[in-house]
Amino acid sequence: MQKHRARVVCSAMLLVALTALGLAGSAQAKLTGGYTKFANCPYTNAEVKKCLYSVTESGEVVLGSKKVPIEKPVTLQGGAGVFNEEEEFQKFYAATNGITLSKTPQNVPGGLLGIVPEASSPFLVKALIKFFLENSLTGVNSTLELAGSASDIRINEFALAAEEGIALKLPVKVHLENPFLGKNCYVGSSGSPITWNLTTGETSPPAPNTPISGAGGEGEFLESGRILQLKNNKLVDNAWSAPSPTGCGGILSFLVTPIIKAQLGTTTAGHNTAVLKGTVSTTTSAALIKNNKENP
Amino acid sequence: MRIKATAIGTALAALAVLCAVFASSASAAPAWKFEAKSLEGSEVILGGALESSLTIPGLTTTCENFLYKLSIKNEAGTGKGEVTELPLYNCTTNTEACAVEKIGAEKLPWPSHLATVSSSPYIIIEGVRVGIVYSGEECAVGGILVAVTGSAGGLIDNTTETATFNNTTLAATGTALKALSGKAEWSGVFPTEAFQWHREQALSAS
Repeated sequence: MQKHRARVVCSAMLLVALTALGLAGSAQAKLTGGYTKFANCPYTNAEVKKCLYSVTESGEVVLGSKKVPIEKPVTLQGGAGVFNEEEEFQKFYAATNGITLSKTPQNVPGGLLGIVPEASSPFLVKALIKFFLENSLTGVNSTLELAGSASDIRINEFALAAEEGIALKLPVKVHLENPFLGKNCYVGSSGSPITWNLTTGETSPPAPNTPISGAGGEGEFLESGRILQLKNNKLVDNAWSAPSPTGCGGILSFLVTPIIKAQLGTTTAGHNTAVLKGTVSTTTSAALIKNNKENP
Repeated sequence: MRIKATAIGTALAALAVLCAVFASSASAAPAWKFEAKSLEGSEVILGGALESSLTIPGLTTTCENFLYKLSIKNEAGTGKGEVTELPLYNCTTNTEACAVEKIGAEKLPWPSHLATVSSSPYIIIEGVRVGIVYSGEECAVGGILVAVTGSAGGLIDNTTETATFNNTTLAATGTALKALSGKAEWSGVFPTEAFQWHREQALSAS
């Protein structure tokens, strides 16, 4: 009797071990070929129908009177749900690695003096700037960050391909980074984001901006029609407004923030521009699930 | 003084020759002809493609039945016309992932005219717009309307009475088709046969 019970326990343990191995094998399944770039898409979520991987390789963000060229790649990745006919958008789902929009610092031309001019600054600010200049801490980075959560993003694949209407609604905030500016110098916030209504078609901004055109890019199907890649894609919006900067200069914020606000100039709609050029790739969750199963 | 007058005379003669060359080139726009006689009034050309496919890089769509209806006429000695119908049936793709759910010509009629390129007659169709909706759970553009737009030039072969459209003929006529913002390739051979008043008469463009 005891021998029989021991045999049952052993068999059960073996079964558990084998199941665990099986599960481990499943978890290690990897996407292959052109699908690898979609590894961070939440494609196992039943609500996710499509996956997006977009790399902005160049372009510019003009905020008031300051222009920041995009010189380092910025990645937007995640999943998209079914098309909502009423909203004319697909809901967006965050990337599984938590990096839906990569935080890529871009160099601000002119550095610190470009946004905080020494000559016109109060004595205290002037003294601090001098210190930073003497210590070669004059470089300023501008980092685009997602404002709010990934679910605030909206995408419209139809508009992306058709070169008309809003293709991507992206709530962002701009993080200005330099030791002098402190850690919390932002234009836009989760509560008051900069909302880009990006199109591959033509914009209709308020003056003084004039219409500019985006481009869907050159479409190419990969993996036998399962991946669509749009090279030289150009998403544009020059009708957005930006709130005033906040939190710049640490404890001297009350002095520095107004200076930066003045330097940016008017940032109401018609004075700002976003041009994002790069490659957009899309695929379906079903294609990824199949590829995953085929490569245990 | 005489030298100057001679030089001016030579220049004028050269200019006259050049004008004559350009005038002859411009008047060389071909006309529709039946049994070598210029078409008077209008005629309807009806047919189906012998073979036809549309390729967006990586995805080729082929239709077994690619029919067309083209009304033709001559205007000031130049062949004109318009595509009035273009029913497409039994269309498939070269992939397992994507099937053709819907396909159809949009914004008909499409105007057309004849042109001569390197001594050969071409038919140029403008305002082309074909909407394709693909389906398939794994298809990257499943459920999305893909519009193929632009203009297309096809080489008319008077011997075989066909019009051939492909990359070479589109390039020769400076025409292009676009889909998903990129270049789309269309290849097809279309017989040109009269259906109304000139049935069984040899159709040519010259």
